[in-house]
Amino acid sequence: MAEPIITFKDVSKTYILYKNDQARFKALFIKPKNPKTNRALNKVSFEIQRGESVGIVGDNGAGKSTLLKMITGVAFPDEGDIVVNGKVAALLELTAGFSMEMTGRENIYLKGYILGLEDEYIKQIEESIIEFAELGDYIDQPVRTYSSGMKMRLGFAINVNIEPDVLVVDEALAVGDASFKRKCKDKIKEIIGAGTTVLYVSHNADSVKEICPRAIYLRKGTVIFDGPTDETLKVYHDYKESQKKKK
Amino acid sequence: MFTSILKEHKGFGKQIFLLAKNELIKTYKGAVIGPFWAVVKPAFTVFVYWFAFSVGIKALKAVNVHLNGMEHKAFSIDFFTFMFVGIIPWFFIQDSIVQGAKTLRTNRQFITKVKFPVSTILTYTGLSRLFVHLFLVIIMYGYVIFFRVSNGNPPFDWYDLQFFFYCPLLFFFFLALSWSTAPMSAFSKDFESLIVSIMSGVFWLSGIMYDSYSFSGGLKWAMLFNPINFFANGYRNCFLYHRGFWVYKTELIIFAAELIGVTLLGIFNYNRLRKKLPDVL
Repeated sequence: MAEPIITFKDVSKTYILYKNDQARFKALFIKPKNPKTNRALNKVSFEIQRGESVGIVGDNGAGKSTLLKMITGVAFPDEGDIVVNGKVAALLELTAGFSMEMTGRENIYLKGYILGLEDEYIKQIEESIIEFAELGDYIDQPVRTYSSGMKMRLGFAINVNIEPDVLVVDEALAVGDASFKRKCKDKIKEIIGAGTTVLYVSHNADSVKEICPRAIYLRKGTVIFDGPTDETLKVYHDYKESQKKKK
Repeated sequence: MFTSILKEHKGFGKQIFLLAKNELIKTYKGAVIGPFWAVVKPAFTVFVYWFAFSVGIKALKAVNVHLNGMEHKAFSIDFFTFMFVGIIPWFFIQDSIVQGAKTLRTNRQFITKVKFPVSTILTYTGLSRLFVHLFLVIIMYGYVIFFRVSNGNPPFDWYDLQFFFYCPLLFFFFLALSWSTAPMSAFSKDFESLIVSIMSGVFWLSGIMYDSYSFSGGLKWAMLFNPINFFANGYRNCFLYHRGFWVYKTELIIFAAELIGVTLLGIFNYNRLRKKLPDVL
């Protein structure tokens, strides 16, 4: 079997909850003694193959965001290993991570460099990004002057046009007006169709079913079920029903 | 571990310059006289100190400088010139320490939202301060030339070139210091406040308004351990003392040891805290 594109091996992450600012200051110099902690991920292991689309379901606070942040390289685990073989594009917080004083065009290059792309390659995709974002002459204006919709469009356009190996999508993604939303959905479908690995986070069972044949169910940082989407969703719903009954 | 910071900079050079330029724009844009604020503030500070000491207290018109070693006798330098040359590196140092500590907090969008080579944030903000510094140095050099000519001396001096020894060291030393202070300040606002509040004290404990060589005994040694003195005296070596940086070996060796210490500590602290930064910011 080919090498998986994403591997999580016994990944754990614990957030330390400092009692107050003094405790935080002290923690700079000495390790805090039995601090309150929040275990966001607990020995999470899975493999995702190239071209697979995987949904991630779970309640708020189940560790979904932490997991995605680790795949995108923003957050780091305390224990365990994460291997991601390829370019990751994240459709999570599209308006974040711009340098406000730089123009849209310069930000395209900045993002490209962060992802390890070469000048020549960025030049090639530059036009398609600008076209997709529908920014027109604004592309040479500082991002500071953009409306939030424009920033989102640029963020989205950059992420989908770099030909990612892994696309991380949050369903709660907002990308502005209806016509652009449709365009985005089409583009995401196109990317999935082209065989890109997709990680899809959602509360909406139907949309997960539509996109992903496989789903992972997280509860309180632990993988409860990992398998075909139908089965995963069934486990998820059964648990939810049982919770309701308890109340 | 040693290469992590270097690795983050690899291939990012052009972006660092671009980001540094934008840092400058961010700081000075929107003001009518824009970049001149970079000059107005230090100029006013210099004026105030000169006024307080030379006009107000009246006593200080000239400073007696005791360079170490046999080759120099004590000599006297116009107070304003002495202070001006020493305070120019101080402006950079002060900004580097205070702003350097805050930098990660103010640029948090690059840490918590996207994958970013975090240590380059310290480099490009430092670089933007270096641009301002170079601008001030040019003004100071203009004054030094004027001072020399008006005293009947030749306008240029070979020792001036030592600036290219001291200035990169100045930049690097405080960059390496920020590898420690910036992540720690990001963790704890108290640490940041601590740094900000000791800075004005540090100014008066450093040989900027006075000659740090002029002490004897233990105090003289203590002064050698303050790296700010190394730079204030270094700039004076270049532009006033006509003295090579290699002449006072004790000072040079102590500084070199501190530079290595600060660098190692910076690498250690950066690596220790880097992965926790997205969680606390």
